[in-house]
Amino acid sequence: MVQRFTSEETKKAMHSVVKEMYDKIIGGEPPTMTLPVRTKTNIGFDKKLGVYKYGKKRSIRDATSLGSAKQLLRALYIVEFIEEMIDAGKSSTLREMYYISEAWGLGKFGSQNESNNLAEDLEIVTKCLREDFKLRPEEDGARMIGNLTLRERNRRGEWMRINARDDVGDSGYGVPYNVESEKIELLENDIDFIMAIETGGMFDRLIENGFDEEYRCGLLHLKGQPARSTRRIIKRMSEEWDLPVVVFLDGDPWSFRIFASIAYGAIKTAHISEYLATPSATYLGITADDIVAYDLPSDDLSKKDIEALNAELSDPRFADSWWQDQINMMLELGKKAEQQSLAKYGLDFVTETYLPEKLAELGLA
Amino acid sequence: MSKGLEIDVYPTITVLGLKTVDMRGTISLLARRHWDEGGPDVGGPSMAGIAQKLASNQKQVAISEFFEKNKHFLGFDSLSRSLITAVKEAVDNALDACEEARILPRIDVEIKKLDLKKDIIELKVEDNGPGIPQKSIEKVFGQLLFGSRFHAIRQSRGQQGIGITGVVMYSQLTTGKPTHVRSKISTESTAAVVDIGLDTRKNKAVKSNQGREIWEHKDGTMKQHGLEVTTQLKAKYQKGRQSVWQYLRMTSIVNPHAEINFIDPDGEVHHWPRVTERLPTKVESIKPHPHGIELGQLQRMLNESKDSRLSVFLRMNFSGVSNRAAKELCAAAELDVGAKPKQMKPDHIRALLEAFQGERMFNGKPVKMLNPPTNCLSPIEEMLIKKGLSKTIDSRFITTMTRVPNVSQGNPYQIEVGLIFGGDMPGDKAVEVLRFANRVPLMYQQGGCLLTKAIESVDWRQYGLDQPGAKGVPKGPAAILVHLASTNVQFTSEAKEALAENEEVIEEARKAMLEMGRGLRKHLEKKKKMAKTQEKFELINDILPAIAAKSAEILNKPIPDLSGSITKIMSAVIGETSTVWNKETKQTDIAITLYNYTTRSRAYTILATWPEKAGAKIVGNDTGGRKEAMGVWAWKLQALEPGERTIISYSLDGLEKGDWSETDIFYRGSQEVIGAMKMDEKYLEEIRNQEQIMKDMNSENKIQESEISTEPSIDSDGDLDSPEIDLDEVIASLGEPKIAPPSGQSTLFGGDL
Repeated sequence: MVQRFTSEETKKAMHSVVKEMYDKIIGGEPPTMTLPVRTKTNIGFDKKLGVYKYGKKRSIRDATSLGSAKQLLRALYIVEFIEEMIDAGKSSTLREMYYISEAWGLGKFGSQNESNNLAEDLEIVTKCLREDFKLRPEEDGARMIGNLTLRERNRRGEWMRINARDDVGDSGYGVPYNVESEKIELLENDIDFIMAIETGGMFDRLIENGFDEEYRCGLLHLKGQPARSTRRIIKRMSEEWDLPVVVFLDGDPWSFRIFASIAYGAIKTAHISEYLATPSATYLGITADDIVAYDLPSDDLSKKDIEALNAELSDPRFADSWWQDQINMMLELGKKAEQQSLAKYGLDFVTETYLPEKLAELGLA
Repeated sequence: MSKGLEIDVYPTITVLGLKTVDMRGTISLLARRHWDEGGPDVGGPSMAGIAQKLASNQKQVAISEFFEKNKHFLGFDSLSRSLITAVKEAVDNALDACEEARILPRIDVEIKKLDLKKDIIELKVEDNGPGIPQKSIEKVFGQLLFGSRFHAIRQSRGQQGIGITGVVMYSQLTTGKPTHVRSKISTESTAAVVDIGLDTRKNKAVKSNQGREIWEHKDGTMKQHGLEVTTQLKAKYQKGRQSVWQYLRMTSIVNPHAEINFIDPDGEVHHWPRVTERLPTKVESIKPHPHGIELGQLQRMLNESKDSRLSVFLRMNFSGVSNRAAKELCAAAELDVGAKPKQMKPDHIRALLEAFQGERMFNGKPVKMLNPPTNCLSPIEEMLIKKGLSKTIDSRFITTMTRVPNVSQGNPYQIEVGLIFGGDMPGDKAVEVLRFANRVPLMYQQGGCLLTKAIESVDWRQYGLDQPGAKGVPKGPAAILVHLASTNVQFTSEAKEALAENEEVIEEARKAMLEMGRGLRKHLEKKKKMAKTQEKFELINDILPAIAAKSAEILNKPIPDLSGSITKIMSAVIGETSTVWNKETKQTDIAITLYNYTTRSRAYTILATWPEKAGAKIVGNDTGGRKEAMGVWAWKLQALEPGERTIISYSLDGLEKGDWSETDIFYRGSQEVIGAMKMDEKYLEEIRNQEQIMKDMNSENKIQESEISTEPSIDSDGDLDSPEIDLDEVIASLGEPKIAPPSGQSTLFGGDL
């Protein structure tokens, strides 16, 4: 479990970033900000935590070019803004901060991407969490359906008890951006495993076919690359309820990355991998084998797909032989397939044949 | 290749009905050319065919038939082109007349649609030229191919058209209406008016409504002198690249001394202002050069000669023929120097021509002759091309270049180019190609033109323009101008819209393009560098102080001193130059600022370019310094301490707005100066050398002229050979200088010439 910071600790951590710049100027040097290198070359497996974390490589952002100097100035404005929010007991979305920066003159952001990245930089340097900074993402949280019960604190501060099968409509329970214990408590469940699903179409297909009840599982719609809160709640359910997690995605290089971010930790958030990643998660499909075994309708790999697969071959998270085989096989096939290509054999094929067979391999059905 | 009708060559060919149609001269010449070249080529067959037919039948041919059969080379082959041709004839006439009379031209063109269904258009062209005396009007407007005498070889617009008579004919044939002419000369108080028409049945020019009237401007003042032509013709007004508008726009670019106004059929007024008061230099007529002469022309010259001896004839009627050369030519042709020119037999004439062309040798070598003089050419000149371009096209960068005159096959020629870049021009389309021959725009057949081929022969990718596969016209936000000035412009066909291949001319144009390309690349590199420097200044002037202030505020500490950080960040010496037109003083203000952002004290000599050749003077230069070479000034500066800066400021007088917009600076010193180039001393030396060569050339040219003028006019067959041989060699060596003379700023950056 990551340590959470108090308001004072958060401020102190941020001041150390400011002090690095200030001291450099006093010493007659260009101001700097020191960050871990955030690429696949600087992530390594942390045996103690069981996830991938940033290594020791550091990059120094110094004010010798206009671009980096502006980054430093913006970081200072963010620090000041966060301090003000902490003092006023407020929070804001990253998008709001982007608009607020309009008033920062030279410290104004060029794009929201820039402000998001800088907020992440600060998180990494200070080891604080976004939540400590009172910054909320815009991210679209997951939705869940299944016989599991949790407690969520609503806007009025009251706890609401919600069962994700009986108390929700067809769209399921919407996961909020903050899933920490002050907001959500996991109460009880009557399921055997959790299945995370990439596309809304497949999620709805399983619900319509009553898969959650028949196979006693919680279904979770990832909505593409999963938001932090989605990954966090998977982790919490897996740990606190001791439930197996299976991940059902398209069969393409990008799905492999989604799985890696759920199970091993994402490169961008490797500083908090132990807080977001679920090392026990299993990749269910679509695998490269499945494309052949089930003779699935497939598309040719694009140039970008091939580049992504080749990059994955040298990604430490995919270093084990199972992944190397899958990636190489997909490269050899030159094909990729979507989850919904299973519909080739009818609407019920996925729930009656494919998933039971795949789950049986894992001993879950 | 063929030249088609060549006005200068046939003295009197056709006068509408006033004289007999006699085209024999034309016939023999044209026919011979096609035979010589082993067959017909573009536009040739019909012309040669007609010529032969006319020759054998000796019949009078109906003007309308002649016109109809030859409209493609007369420029009346389509309704839209007919209109452009009509405007072109009238405007070229106006420009030529003004130039001749040393008047700054103002030309007003108006086009009205009279009958939309029948495509009847009224064209009115008015100028402020000298006007035409009443008795000459019908000669000018009613006479086809009314040309000057054969020996008048010089650069002229008129090489390229049938003349205004063609417009009168076309108008008459398509609308049945005469052309209205109003003319006023300054010595008369009233203007002459007359309608010139054509009796197509009798092939006669017809005058009507002749009279005199008072000619007032719209504001009621009297018109001093000028000509106005109003004509109706069947034609179509079009917009776009091949339009009257484009023709006038292009004309305005290469005639910066002219004011041109145009009212289009929609009533929209287009105005191209005069941007210089300088008229084109008056061109001298020169005699033909033996290398550029044709058999028929030689025949006729001999026939008309009053000289008693062949050697005298050769010396007096050709350029480049000295006493020695005349005798050697006679010897090579196995002719007597004393032969009477008028009585020469065809075989002898052919032999003489072969001696001209080096086919018959003297002592085993072709007879050596001097190059023709090049003062018969009138280039637009770099600064004026710049002005012409910048008044019509908005841009960021212009470079122009006038090459030194050269000679090809006995014909003097000169290439001028201009490149304009940036501004509002679209970046994803092919660059606009502006082609000109003797200041006349070429608007059709771009692809087949020598000038286009010269552009295409350059790999523009290395100079910052797009050019897929290094082929074709480059793409990018640019326009390229090419002007060929020559006494004998060779076209691919009688349409006279594309220049014929000529390796020497292409190479000359290509060299000029390369130099412009280098200029463009330098400009783009400099822009990039300047943008980087600008960023650094923003960093230390704005961002760094803000970082210091904000971090101090958050930590609740005093604002730290920045000088140490600044030196580390910049760790360079930086030069900044601004060149700005000062509206009040009518001068160009220049400021060069040098910053030392290093930890050591630095001493430099700074050098800057200025357009000395264009007559600019440096004023208000308190920093002093001295002239180092043509157009290069230098200031030796005191040592600059760390963190210090110094400013050199001065102004340039004697220029107009837009003449000078970029000053290049150089430095001498060990540490690099960002924003300036290290002075290449060898280069400076070269500029000085070229200056010296130019000086020497000028003085020797004077010697040459005086010696030639003292040459005895009667051939004594005496012993004058030895001094002449020396002179030949001297001049031959000067004819093609190894190093081109400096040409203002472009030379300084042109690199290898």
